[in-house]
Formats: sequence, C-alpha cells, structure tokens
Amino acid sequence: MKPIDGFYLPRSLAAGVETAVQRFGPAHDYIEIRLPIVSPEDVTRWIGALRGARAEHLAERPIGSILRPLERVVARFLDPRDPARRTLVQSLATCGRFSAPMVERALDDAFEPLARGGFRKWIASELGSVAALDEPAPTREGVLRRATGPEWMLQIYAGNVPTVPVWPLFSALLLKSALLAKTSAQEPLLAPLLARAIAEEDSELGACIAVLWWKGGTAELERAALAAAPAVLAFGGETAIASVTHQLRPDAKFVLHGPKVSLAYIGRAALGRAALPGLALQVAEDVALYDQQGCLSPHAVYVERGGAATPVDFAAALGEALETASASLPRREPTASEAASVQLYRAQARFEASGDSNRVLAAGSGTTWTVVCENGARFEPGPAHRVVRVHAITGPEEFERAVVPSLRHVEALAVEERGPRRAVLAARFAGLGIPRIAAVGALQRPSPLGTHGGVRRLEPFVTWSTVERGKSASAPRAPRAAKPRAAAKRASRPSRKGSKTKSPARRRSR
Amino acid sequence: MLLPWKKGPLESEVFHWIERAPWTPNDGGRSRETEKLMLRSFRHQADAIPAYAAYVRHLGVDPARVKDWREIPPVPASAFKSHDLSAAPAASDGPTSVTFETSGTSISQPGRVRLSSTKLYETSLLRNFERHLLPDEAKLRAVVLGPSMIESPTSSLWFMVDRVVREHAIEALYLVHHGDARWKAADDAFRLAAGSGEPLLLLGTTLLFMAYFERLRIMDVSFRLPVGSRVMDTGGAKGQIAEFTRAEVEQGFEQRLGIPPSHVVNEYGMAEMGSQFYDDGLVAAHERRAPRPGKQIPPWVRTRVLDPETLDELPDGEPGILVHYDLANLQIPLAIQTEDIGRREGDRLILEGRLLGAEARGCSLAFEEFLESAPASVAPAP
Repeated sequence: MKPIDGFYLPRSLAAGVETAVQRFGPAHDYIEIRLPIVSPEDVTRWIGALRGARAEHLAERPIGSILRPLERVVARFLDPRDPARRTLVQSLATCGRFSAPMVERALDDAFEPLARGGFRKWIASELGSVAALDEPAPTREGVLRRATGPEWMLQIYAGNVPTVPVWPLFSALLLKSALLAKTSAQEPLLAPLLARAIAEEDSELGACIAVLWWKGGTAELERAALAAAPAVLAFGGETAIASVTHQLRPDAKFVLHGPKVSLAYIGRAALGRAALPGLALQVAEDVALYDQQGCLSPHAVYVERGGAATPVDFAAALGEALETASASLPRREPTASEAASVQLYRAQARFEASGDSNRVLAAGSGTTWTVVCENGARFEPGPAHRVVRVHAITGPEEFERAVVPSLRHVEALAVEERGPRRAVLAARFAGLGIPRIAAVGALQRPSPLGTHGGVRRLEPFVTWSTVERGKSASAPRAPRAAKPRAAAKRASRPSRKGSKTKSPARRRSR
Repeated sequence: MLLPWKKGPLESEVFHWIERAPWTPNDGGRSRETEKLMLRSFRHQADAIPAYAAYVRHLGVDPARVKDWREIPPVPASAFKSHDLSAAPAASDGPTSVTFETSGTSISQPGRVRLSSTKLYETSLLRNFERHLLPDEAKLRAVVLGPSMIESPTSSLWFMVDRVVREHAIEALYLVHHGDARWKAADDAFRLAAGSGEPLLLLGTTLLFMAYFERLRIMDVSFRLPVGSRVMDTGGAKGQIAEFTRAEVEQGFEQRLGIPPSHVVNEYGMAEMGSQFYDDGLVAAHERRAPRPGKQIPPWVRTRVLDPETLDELPDGEPGILVHYDLANLQIPLAIQTEDIGRREGDRLILEGRLLGAEARGCSLAFEEFLESAPASVAPAP
C-alpha cells in the first residue's frame, strides 16, 4: 500500500513541502502516512495564504453555493463504495484504532444527519435562518441580523474517536471562514481526506483549508498558530486544553472541549422482564461503540431498584449484551498497558467486593468486557475498553448526590423510563445542567441541532450585525447593493414584525 | 482473632535473609528460602491485615493450604487508595513510623502505606543500593535533584534517598527547596567538584535531570565531573509522560556532566514496595564484564509476568503485567499487582514504556485524568 497523505494543503501551498513517512499501527500490519515537516514560518505563511483565498473565494460567496458542494461531499462519505470512504475504513482499521465495522458505523453516524437538508436545519437552528449568513435577515421577532464568521479558524482535533473533525471542519466553511486544522497523532487520516474531498468537489473551498499534523505541544508551531488565530475550536485532554487557554489571542473567540464521559439512567418502570434484553442491548451498543474512547461513551449505568427486574438482573443482561456486541461491533485489541489497566480495575472491584456486596462479572475470554455491579451511586470513570459499572439506586436523589459534584465532566445522560415519568426525569436532569439528555442506544448519535459540551457549534464564533430601521423606512430592506434574487424577493415581502414578536415561548430553548 | 503487629521471629528471620541472600542467579537453595519466608509472611498478613484477610477469604483462599508462593493472592496496587492495608496499629505515631503516599495511575485518592517499623524497608533499600551504586564501597558527596525528606515527608523516594545519604554520603546538597529547583547551586557544586577531583553521587528524578540539562544546553555549559562520579535516576511519579528515550538521558549525562552510561543507574520502584530494581551497568563495570539487560530482581523479590488478557503466567521473555512479591513488605501485603508492563529474563526485569497510552485521550475522560483534576469530587460509596 502506498503512503497515505496525513495532511492536506491547497495545491498552491503543497508544492515544495517537505514530508516524512511515518508508520502507524502494529509492526506486522502497519500503514505508512506521509506527514509534512512544518516550521513556524510555514504556519505563518500558510495562514496568510488561507486568508487571501478566503477573501477571494469565500467571504462574499452565497451560502447556498457553499452548501451544494458540501452536500455532495456528505453523499460521497455516505456511499459505501466511495474511494475516499474505502481508504478511510481500510486505513483506520489497519492502523489498529478501531475495527472496520466500527469505522463504517462511525462514518454513517457522523454524516447521515448532514444529508438531505441537514446543513440548512443545523444553520437555522443556531442562527435563526440560513439567509443570515448572506445578508441581514429578519428574526422571528422582526429584528434584522446578519451573521459573520471569523476570518479564519484554528481547530485542534482529538484522536479518540475517528469522526471528531467532521462537524467542526464543515462549520468553518458554513461560517465562510478559512480553516487551519491540526489533527491528532492518533488519528491523522479523516480530516485530510475530508478536506481533499471538499477540494475535489469545489477547488475554491479547497483553497481555504489546510489540515496539518505536528507533534502535540510542539511549542513554536502551536504558539505561532494560536497567537494569530481570531477563533479557536479545540478538543483535548486537560493538559492540552490548559496549554491552549494560555496562548490564546486576548480577543479570540474560542470554544475548548476538555475530557468528559457520559452516563445512563434506567427508571424502575423500564425494567420489565420482557424488555430487559432489548434495553441491555441498547446500553451495550452505547458502551461498545468506539470502545468507550469518546465523551459520549457511558461509563456507568444508574439503575433504580423496585422494578420487575432488579439492578443485578440488568447487570447480568448487560453482560450478555456486551458479549453479543463483541461479535457485532468487534473491539480493537487493547495494548498490553490498556489491558493491564482493565485487569487492575477488575482486581480493585474484586478487592472492594470483599468488604460489601459489590460483584464483578467479567467475560470468559480476556478483557473483552467488564461489568461491575454495586450498591449505591458514585461517579468514577473507568479505564474504558468496555468497562461499565451498574449502580443500584433508590431514585434520582441518590444519583444526583453522587454526580452533581462532578457535573462538569458529564457530556450526556441517556435516560430510559416508561410513560410520562421519562419526561419528568429528563427535565429534572436537564435542570442540573447536563448538556444532553439522550435516549438509551442513541448516545453516540448526537444531532447537529444539539450542542457539543453544552455549547453550540456555529453561534459562538459568529459576530452579529444588527440593522436597525431608518426613521422613514416602513419595511426592513437588505442594505446590500448587489443582492441575490432570493434576498430581493424576501426584502420585498411585508414585514413579519408583529406576528412573531409576541411569542417569546418560541425562542430557542436549551 | 487478629494478632496485633509485634516484632517477632518472622521479622528477624526476614531481616537476616534480606541481609545475606546471595546475589547469584537462581539456585535451588536460595529460591527455597525466599519462597518459604514468603509463605510465612503471607500467612501472617492474611491474619494481621484486616482488609487483606477479608480479601483472601472473599477469594476462597485458605492461607494454611497455600503451599506455593505463586498462589499468594496479590492486592491491586490501587487498593492502597481505597483501604488501609497495614498491620501497623492505626494510632501508631512513634519515632520509627512513617506513612508514604502512593502516586500514579490508580482508582481513588492517593494511597497510604503505613509502617510502624521501617527496618525491613531500610535493610532492603540499603543492601540493594550498595550493590548497584556503591560496589566499590565509595564514600561520596551527594547532590540530590529533589527535596529533603523534611520537605517531602510522605514520599518513599525521598525517604530512600535520605537513608542512603545518611548511611553512605559524606554530605548532601538538596537542590529543591519549597518546590523550586536551585540550579545555580547545582552549577556551583558541579564546578567545584570538577576542580577538586572528588567524584559525586547524584540522586534524583529523570525529569529533573533532563530539565537541568536543557538549561545547560541553552547556556551552552557543561561540566566534567571526576571519574567515579555516578547517578541514580528514577522515573519519579508513575504515569508521567516520558518524553525522552534512555539513550537521550544517557547522552545528557555524558555531554553535560561527563558521566559515562555505565555510571548512570536507573531505578524502578513504587511506594507500595519496600524493594527496588536497578540497572546493573555500574556493577558490571566494577566486575569488568558486559552489563546484563534490564534490572536486577533482588534475591528476596519474585516477579511474575502475566498475560494481560488471560492473567496466565508467561514464560521468560514474553511481556505482560508485572506482579511483584516482595519479602521487604511485611506490615503491608507482599504481593502487589501493578499495571506496569515488562518481561523477565531469569532474575532480570525488562520494563516496557507506556508509550501507547501516553498521549492525551482527547474528549474521553480517562479516569487517571479525572482524579488529577477533581480528586475531591469522588463520592464515597454508601
């Protein structure tokens, strides 16, 4: 197999770039990835070129004409036969990060919500209307606003889940911003392939993106990029995020996503005997996907006592379901070190069991999965690789006592209960400030209409321009001289003011 | 039922064995003595350490029926964080008692290793250190890249350094005060030693040595310490990201301080163990032979290597999870399951770095990281 490019640069910048080939994956079955050798001067020069390309090709471009090529890219990545998708699945599976079925699944989950008008729904859900990206557009309340994205964005990706870069990369283009992205050493493949596919569909968009890799924390490069960036979106561990925070431009718009985990809550009425295996399968799927490497992976399930099936029954069913999932969603083989952490965690659970009624249920073969069932709630992320705790609890109060002190580490909570109590519980947990309340089995498929880490994906980077009406005007008018046809039509419509301003309940809810 | 800890014939037998066990590779007699004592220690511990006793019972192990040291149930290293695993009386606060805090990658807040007697610990650490760093019985001036024990009373590493310095050094200069490294004092000490011709004994963490070398590199300064100068460097806290290879460390010592690789001795140890493991480069140089790979397993220690997936014992040469059995642990369980990876070659232990897990895991919260960032928020299990 010939080396795959672990970076993407527009054609005008790619010429003359020095590269080095690095091996990824186990010694017997590796892939070779070509990576650029980057100096701080290169970074500065490339940023200049990206800004120039954005001014020329992107800043003034109507959003509709940006969406069309992006939708074609989404369709390509959803097509199981597409060469870019095939390359991605093969190489990710080869270099040992995830099994092939898992990568296929990840791609479907990441791109599906963006197909069939997904981009438009996403933009409208955050900015009120798609048109606001082109011109001042009336909100429901009749205010005229235009959204302008930053000139360029710096994005720093984490490598724990392969599809991390998907929505961020698109978000920059939706905001008509140029993009300098830094991939993770653990996953340097998806972002360059996605950028290249965008360039193939539309070379002008492609001219506004650069995707690079450099060794995490390579101080001069990071400093050069961060010191210049007007907008930063970064994913990473505590140390990486802290280092980014210290180097930001004082006026930068930024969203930093630190490490988090997810949880599940099962109400007693959902614990019917007949429903148990299906419920357990759904939880098992949330656990198995990405081998708990992502922030949407549940580490603990809080199960109410008093249902037809007990928390111990649930734990047993979850064990069986994880055994099933080990065939349908095969795990990646853990490294010796990772397996050692799982073994130590099991030994610790066994040790704690000698004092009270904890119990360990481990898979027959190796470390494929681990369920630890215990009385009472606590919050304690495990070592990942399909290790999950089942806590037998009396009700939401007990869950809250354990989890509330660590809320800043919780990304999502899957809630399952029968009847109207599900909504009551969901509202209660949303009231704690948990960013996402999901359905069991759907934790790994967040909607782009939702938030990430409790923060929207486009809006934090937008500068709003509000256009107030002149004294003599009777209807809002788009101020731009050369307006596209759609805008002209809208501007000639009667004002929508009055009809909507009195419905504050329609305002965005979180 | 549970006997209070008292110095009995077992401690003195173990003490004498640690003092005189021969360093020669496995021979039948040597093995039998260490292993016989391990079984006696285990029976004592399964009785005198309440939490360990409960664990042994929970596993269905009858201590009286355990006839092979391999059957001694190891405690996970993390159990020191969740449980008091000491036979020392809870209220003991005598002049000989210490409490070490454990560091690293485990499940809850820092673990505690309580000892009311450090006799076996000291015997083990001194004999091992003498063997691997002072085979020529040199008496040297010490420079410590670290704090004194008074500043860091719960660290087993600085306790060890303190004992070594008091027993074997002419005097010691501690370079870390109140968390700050006084590099200027290091420069002065090295310059002085280079001029006087008196070799030095350097002790400290690898990270600090490398930070000092970086400073010297920027200043474009190096020293040539007199022949016979030597170093014990150690990884310090487990789980710290190793950003450099062993070759880079050795090169640093050679270029910046003029100490040859044979005289740079790396140590591997942990608060949960009374004994340590050393490279044998310096002994080899002293005995005029080629160094053996890896670290010496002391004759009073056994290490099993287990398959990470199945926990089956692996033959020599195959890497797996390290489980140590240490006779110097008498008041605390002698068998410790770690999450370290390595392989054994006879009485040599070859450690493998944790390189693959070293990079930050991105948006997934690793439990180690969680504990670093919010240790106070771990709710106790009801």
